[in-house]
Amino acid sequence: MSTHFTEDELTLHYYGEGRRRGRVARHLDECASCAAVYREIADTLALVATPETPERGEQYGLEVWQRIRHHLPEQEAPRWIGWIAGMSWLRSDRLVLAGAAASLIVVAFVAGRIWPRTVSVAPPAAATAADAGGTSIAGNDVRHRILLTAVADHLDRSERVLTDIMNAPSRGDISTEQVWADDLLTTSRLYRQDATEAGESSVAGVLDELERSLLEIVHSPSPISTGDLEQIRRRIDAAALLFKVRVMSDELRQRDTAPAPSTSTQKTS
Amino acid sequence: MDATEAAAVLDRARQGDGEAFRALVEQHSRSAFRLAFRMTGNEQDAEDVVQESFIKAYRQLGRFESRANFGTWLYRIVANCSVDLMRAKQARHDQIRGDSIDDAIELPAADLPGPERLAHSAEIESRVQSALDGLSPLERAAFTLRHYEGRSIDEIGATLGLGTSAAKHSVFRAVKKLRAALAPLRSQES
Repeated sequence: MSTHFTEDELTLHYYGEGRRRGRVARHLDECASCAAVYREIADTLALVATPETPERGEQYGLEVWQRIRHHLPEQEAPRWIGWIAGMSWLRSDRLVLAGAAASLIVVAFVAGRIWPRTVSVAPPAAATAADAGGTSIAGNDVRHRILLTAVADHLDRSERVLTDIMNAPSRGDISTEQVWADDLLTTSRLYRQDATEAGESSVAGVLDELERSLLEIVHSPSPISTGDLEQIRRRIDAAALLFKVRVMSDELRQRDTAPAPSTSTQKTS
Repeated sequence: MDATEAAAVLDRARQGDGEAFRALVEQHSRSAFRLAFRMTGNEQDAEDVVQESFIKAYRQLGRFESRANFGTWLYRIVANCSVDLMRAKQARHDQIRGDSIDDAIELPAADLPGPERLAHSAEIESRVQSALDGLSPLERAAFTLRHYEGRSIDEIGATLGLGTSAAKHSVFRAVKKLRAALAPLRSQES
């Protein structure tokens, strides 16, 4: 008999997902224990019927409009406007730079005509530019990968602190975890900024949530009361933070070991 | 409203035309409410989510890619506004009651009603509702999208801004919790 399937795989099978659907179906015909678990999952999910949505009439859209029309805020500018606005400070500098470059070309041209020529072998300008471009792309990719690895390490360290907090005894001394969390807090902010700049919004989101929990740990009293500790634990649990930190760390490590993409624009889903 | 007309309305709304945005609100309100209700399980919360979602959509309309589908974009906004609202409610609830989420769904055996009452569908509904209320906001959102909305794991990830693994595990955790919470019902049913 083939190996058993996990509860998670059977859940995916129930929902018509999973890559091994044929194998799971055959296995369920043969294996009584997996079939029993599957039946239990199916029976549970069958109890969760789609709720009947309260009726909303044809005029509902108009009602919603009436309620929100006086609360509509200013529209945010499109991204490309923000991008141009961000670049505009460069414009005056660009003109100055362009002027300076033009002057240098003229001076170089005149100097070349006046001074005696020396024989030199220089790489063609186009090749140099291409090399520089290639180096720049490769450099960006390397920096991106370094960031991902560093963030994955940071998430692993943070996971350990969070795990310690989740398992700390009630009314315990958490001063060690607080020092640790304080160190991580500063790093977390920097990584979050880097991740935002690199377009890694999912990473930045997890780091943002992590920061809030670290901040709460740092600013809690030590020794901590049972109530305060429970409060921190509940928030960590409610945000599924430990889970998110683990998943994100794994995801970043997988991306780090994956072959480099042709461009450096890879983003998390 | 055909595709060309819809695109023109969307374009005008993106330029700040209130009447055009009104047309979008009128067109999408009912579907937004249905999703918000399924996500939150509460009529008033769903109303709040619908309003908040349209206000958010209006604010960010300039950033909306005109080639994308407005309905899909709004769907994501509604789903995420629902998660935000559930998180806020849960934080308030935790502060007031100090009960853990798991405590809320682990019902002591002594409190279980007898078989006669369990046979009653209203009682089942109530049990299911309390089991759903025991899920974390993210688990509930992922479960709702999978179970009620029929979205694939990849679609759930895209909607909630999660990776595929995170989306998958949110559904798994929800199913595990529901199995534990509804086990007494299941044994009575069988």
